Amino acid sequence: MNPFILQAQDAINRRAFLSGSSSLLGLTALNSLLSPQLLQAASVPSVLSGFPHFPIKAKRVIYLFQSGAPSQMDLFDPKPQMAKLFGKDLPESIRQGQRLTGMTSKQKNFPIAPSIFKFAEHGESRATISELMPHIAGVADELCFIKSMHTDAINHDPAITFFQTGRQIAGFPSMGSWLSYGLGSENKDLPAFVVLSSFGSGRRDDQPLYDRLWGSGFLPTQHQGVKFRNTGDPVLYLSNPNGMSASTRRQTLDDLNALNQQRFGVVGDPDIEARIAQYEMAFRMQTSVPELTDFSKEPQHIIDMYGPDVKRPGSYAANCLLARRLAERDVRFVQLFHMGWDQHFTLPKAIRGQCHDTDQPTAALIKDLKQRGLLDDTLIVWGGEFGRTIYSQGALTKDNYGRDHHPRCFTIFLAGGGIKPGMTVGETDEFSYNILRDPVSIFDLHATMLNRMGVDHNRLTFKFQGLDAKLTGVEKAHAIRSILL
Amino acid sequence: MTQPGRIFYFSLSFALPLVAAPLEKVGFNREIRPILSENCYYCHGPDEKHREEDLRLDIRADAIKAGAIVPGKPEESELIARIFTDDEDEIMPPPKTHKILTTEQKELLKRWIAEGAEYEEHWAFTAPQTPAVPAVKSKAAAFGNGIDAFILQKLEQNNAQLSAPADPHTLIRRVTFDLTGLPPTPAEVEAFVKACRNADGKGFTISQQAYEALIDRLLASPAYGEKMASMWLDYARYADSHGFQSDSSRSMWPWRDWVIRAFNENKPFDQFTIEQLAGDLLPQPSNAQLVATGFHRNHRINGEGGLIPEEWRIENIIDRVDTTGSTWLGLTLGCARCHDHKYDPISQKEFYQMFAFFNNIAETGVIVGPSNRAGGNMDPVVRVGTEAQLKYVKDLQAKIDKINATLKGAEKEIAAAQKTWEKSKLSHDQTPAAIKKIIANGAKRSKEQKALVDQYYRSSVDPTYKKIVTEREHLIKKLNSLDQITPMTMIMRELPKPRPAYVLNRGQYTEKGEEVTANTPAVLPALPAGAPRNRLTLAQWIVSPQNPLTARVWVNRQWERFFGNGIVKTSENFGMQSAPPSHPELLDWLATEFIRSSWDMKAMQKHMVMSATYRQSSNYKSTSPELLEKDPYNRLLSRAPRLRLPAESIRDQALTISGLLDHSIGGPSVRPYMPAGVWDETSVYGDLRNYKHDTNNGLYRRTLYTIWKRTAAPPTMLLFDSPSREICTVKRSNTNTPLQALALLNEVTYVEAARVLAQRMIKDGGSTPEQRLTWAFHQATLRQPTADELSILQNSLQKHLATYRAAPQEAAKLIDAGDAPVAAGDPIELAAYTVCANVILNLDEIIMRD
Repeated sequence: MNPFILQAQDAINRRAFLSGSSSLLGLTALNSLLSPQLLQAASVPSVLSGFPHFPIKAKRVIYLFQSGAPSQMDLFDPKPQMAKLFGKDLPESIRQGQRLTGMTSKQKNFPIAPSIFKFAEHGESRATISELMPHIAGVADELCFIKSMHTDAINHDPAITFFQTGRQIAGFPSMGSWLSYGLGSENKDLPAFVVLSSFGSGRRDDQPLYDRLWGSGFLPTQHQGVKFRNTGDPVLYLSNPNGMSASTRRQTLDDLNALNQQRFGVVGDPDIEARIAQYEMAFRMQTSVPELTDFSKEPQHIIDMYGPDVKRPGSYAANCLLARRLAERDVRFVQLFHMGWDQHFTLPKAIRGQCHDTDQPTAALIKDLKQRGLLDDTLIVWGGEFGRTIYSQGALTKDNYGRDHHPRCFTIFLAGGGIKPGMTVGETDEFSYNILRDPVSIFDLHATMLNRMGVDHNRLTFKFQGLDAKLTGVEKAHAIRSILL
Repeated sequence: MTQPGRIFYFSLSFALPLVAAPLEKVGFNREIRPILSENCYYCHGPDEKHREEDLRLDIRADAIKAGAIVPGKPEESELIARIFTDDEDEIMPPPKTHKILTTEQKELLKRWIAEGAEYEEHWAFTAPQTPAVPAVKSKAAAFGNGIDAFILQKLEQNNAQLSAPADPHTLIRRVTFDLTGLPPTPAEVEAFVKACRNADGKGFTISQQAYEALIDRLLASPAYGEKMASMWLDYARYADSHGFQSDSSRSMWPWRDWVIRAFNENKPFDQFTIEQLAGDLLPQPSNAQLVATGFHRNHRINGEGGLIPEEWRIENIIDRVDTTGSTWLGLTLGCARCHDHKYDPISQKEFYQMFAFFNNIAETGVIVGPSNRAGGNMDPVVRVGTEAQLKYVKDLQAKIDKINATLKGAEKEIAAAQKTWEKSKLSHDQTPAAIKKIIANGAKRSKEQKALVDQYYRSSVDPTYKKIVTEREHLIKKLNSLDQITPMTMIMRELPKPRPAYVLNRGQYTEKGEEVTANTPAVLPALPAGAPRNRLTLAQWIVSPQNPLTARVWVNRQWERFFGNGIVKTSENFGMQSAPPSHPELLDWLATEFIRSSWDMKAMQKHMVMSATYRQSSNYKSTSPELLEKDPYNRLLSRAPRLRLPAESIRDQALTISGLLDHSIGGPSVRPYMPAGVWDETSVYGDLRNYKHDTNNGLYRRTLYTIWKRTAAPPTMLLFDSPSREICTVKRSNTNTPLQALALLNEVTYVEAARVLAQRMIKDGGSTPEQRLTWAFHQATLRQPTADELSILQNSLQKHLATYRAAPQEAAKLIDAGDAPVAAGDPIELAAYTVCANVILNLDEIIMRD
């Protein structure tokens, strides 16, 4: 059940919920109050009637968001033919009037900047991966690449908002909050949706993040992601005040519960019992969260696997290890944001920094989940908010270039959680500018993720402004059949 | 305050017995429309482009013509055949929509067609008529008003009654929170309770006179305007930052202060509306009327590198249409941005006709220049201040302008003199090294370097002009220093010639369709013939007595504040998909009374809180188990709701109980405590970084003055269901989470409040633990603790004293929380009482209003 609402037993005790559910509370809300098991026990229909709509392949998601937009042609979508076109203008037949950001729309020409990085085929799947990602190359056969992602937005703020919420404008729920709302939590001591962030060494002054990226939009606010912090308490206000011991805190909660219980005896409002339950949950979190974030019992070989950065709290590596620990505790949706991929200038230097941050820990996370038998039912997604241009922004030299935003195609990869390993979907033209085959929209990706969680994206809805609003919007979305196990 | 002549209809007749209603006909508005709208209109409704089989069911003639409905003959109606069939290919709604009609719904449709399939216009789109106040059997209370007649009528039909009146201390706490967002003081409670004590000393009867005096006092208190403003700021998506990407600062607080003042002055709602939507178009608008138009400059503004300005100008205007629809009309106009509305009769073209009203502001729609990172407002703006202040500023500006003109006239002369000076080696002894270095490079210098040298020459060297350049610098500095006192704020200003507006296909700024002119949706009353198609006309149309929505929407939201739910539960949406009103006649009665009172907001609220319905007890135990079963959400209002306090009130209450609250009104936003890194962990952009909390009264101001950075809003506000203020939000959720518990237990604001409350109970609460704890409990809950409650606290106090005696260093740490001075005395005792106060401030009774 979702610990952020009510104790299950309290919920069941509340006659109001059960008897009035269909008319007023709404089945959707009810579902988030009770776990599927409890729903069965109480024989209350779930809003996701018929859930699971599909076999549940993934019980949880770890989304490794690479904020700022990694360059696909320097990492996973090699275009060797570009070498001969060094410095030549991008043909208009390729650009086709594509709108450009204000950063390059006034450029006199669009000189092609071939990647300076070497590519090789890896694994039985023969995935082509850049020399920048040696560790990822080592797990190539676990990965499913989508080279034909596309989006509508050309600026960061709307583009990342689109990825997270299915809309470019603010006000809609993030994907993690949809899952928290629709499926609740499997862990009674931790939230269903946890967010971790890290700064990249590629570009320190990179694109910022916004609360709305893990916000709950029009869904009830308890579904907003809980952002773990890198300084101070991992969860806001988790620690007792200085000078108050755990046993004193326990005493205060006993008093508080006794006093609230007396009040319940007088006024009879079932919300009081819910509040008592929430204070108890808060107390449990004071133990469960420090235990979760304490890496001291991790053996040395695991620490080594994630690399030296893992010892620095708030690093991408530390967040990857924390993500594994959250997955072990059945937290439904864990989302990492790693900033620093917005490489308009001096891309070669900046991307080396970013890959140094992320290559080893990402591969370690996949291997670590696998060795624990968790990869099968944990869906991993790696990717940014759009792609980058084949042409250089600013001056182009033999070993230096920059790339502007490119919405028409980019590469992401998935692993585990019922996704076919060792394959690639989609293909781009020789400029990595247009998609030639199997385009995948953000809605399709969302539908795919939900499908693996056992959810039909058309049936995860919330009544908002009179509409059955859903993550995947109004345009038709389809799970990517070819990659489903 | 309520003015004479604007008093409400105030009588009740209990004479006529209620006549039992015959078996009622199926009502279209009440029963049928919700079924058709939810299940059929998406494909067979107003949206022409997506209509299936060319069948529409929202218009009777069309449905009949298509054979879907044969009035009086359900067996011949295709609609009935299709909903009852077992054939998967035939059944409606189709299985792929996952919509299933219940047997009850199908039978209702059948009965409705048998009864003639009469349609009714959607209630919210027809002007409300004042209904007669119903006659009811029971005399519910010693005093009450028309509201109670409508509520009682429904209760009686269900064999139910209002609960007994709330006791006086509960009532005064409830109404003080509801009207001012603050708790009453213990002295205020005592006076009111005394006035309500029965002559024989046993029990209480709420005194009408004392209660009405209380309401009048609360409505006249400045805190009322602050409470009302906190709601309006959500609607207006007010914030202190721009809201996109670098999310740097802006100065819109003068608009916020205008709102507080307007509520406190009880500006009639029609005027309140007109000034905010179109104050700039009024004849000779005052400075305040210009400031008011900041309402529609509160939206986010993007300044991200590489953006295309027109895309964002369009986005902002769409935001204004959405916000206007949600705030005033309870309509989801935004649904018609990309296509005709799926449920409501609002076409895409009509959406862009509304758009055209807001399309003519002299604005770029984006932030350009240094403001994007350094903070600042975008044109059009106005300076705010008293007449004298503004004149002073104007004079300063005139002096600066004059110097600029002089310098410009002498530009050639100065440039020549500068050239000579640069070449002369003799005069460079005093020149700073950095300047010398640039000069040494000759004419080769960057723009910045050139500016540096020019600036230096003009202000320090030039014999003729250095004096006036220095003076100009001095004047500019002076002008800038006035920004805190006479700040700039963003406003609306119309372009001399309107920009053309178009239907935008798929809502995309690049895909211009048919050109449109400003107009309102055809389903609502037309604009007055010949009136100019501008924002002023739109604003006047919104608050015209003929508009069927505005008054209903407003009174419904006020009702929601006092009674937990609106009469229309979907207070954000009055369209076809809205919930049918629980008390439709009451809603219309309130709306028409509101208009009749010349849109008097205070009078309307007074009327609501004077009702017996409002004054009844919220105790669940006064509701019978049968009624709880039948009406679990208390839609009949057989008791008052228990409501969790809003985010602002929770903190304001802790500051009030501890005596820390600073009551001053308005001014720039303040910075109370916030954990380190909230702004900086996700951004290295913009000027809102490196948060440092205030060290003065800024720590203890009311919560609505807390600085609001939209992409990283105050965490405790978000935890307690405040929206992020990125878009218009007219309804907050109401949740109960463990993170809220952690905040109230551990956040420094609340620990400090507990410690200061402990200091007060030691100083003012008496000499024994029993006296002190009783005093503190009373300060907080405004009632005396029971013996059991007191003994729980007393027993724990002894344990805490023992704990801290054994570890005095821990006591010292605990009482160090917060910046408020620590009282002299025994730190161990203070720590132990602080822990007890921490419990008291976390009581459910404190977090709720009963």
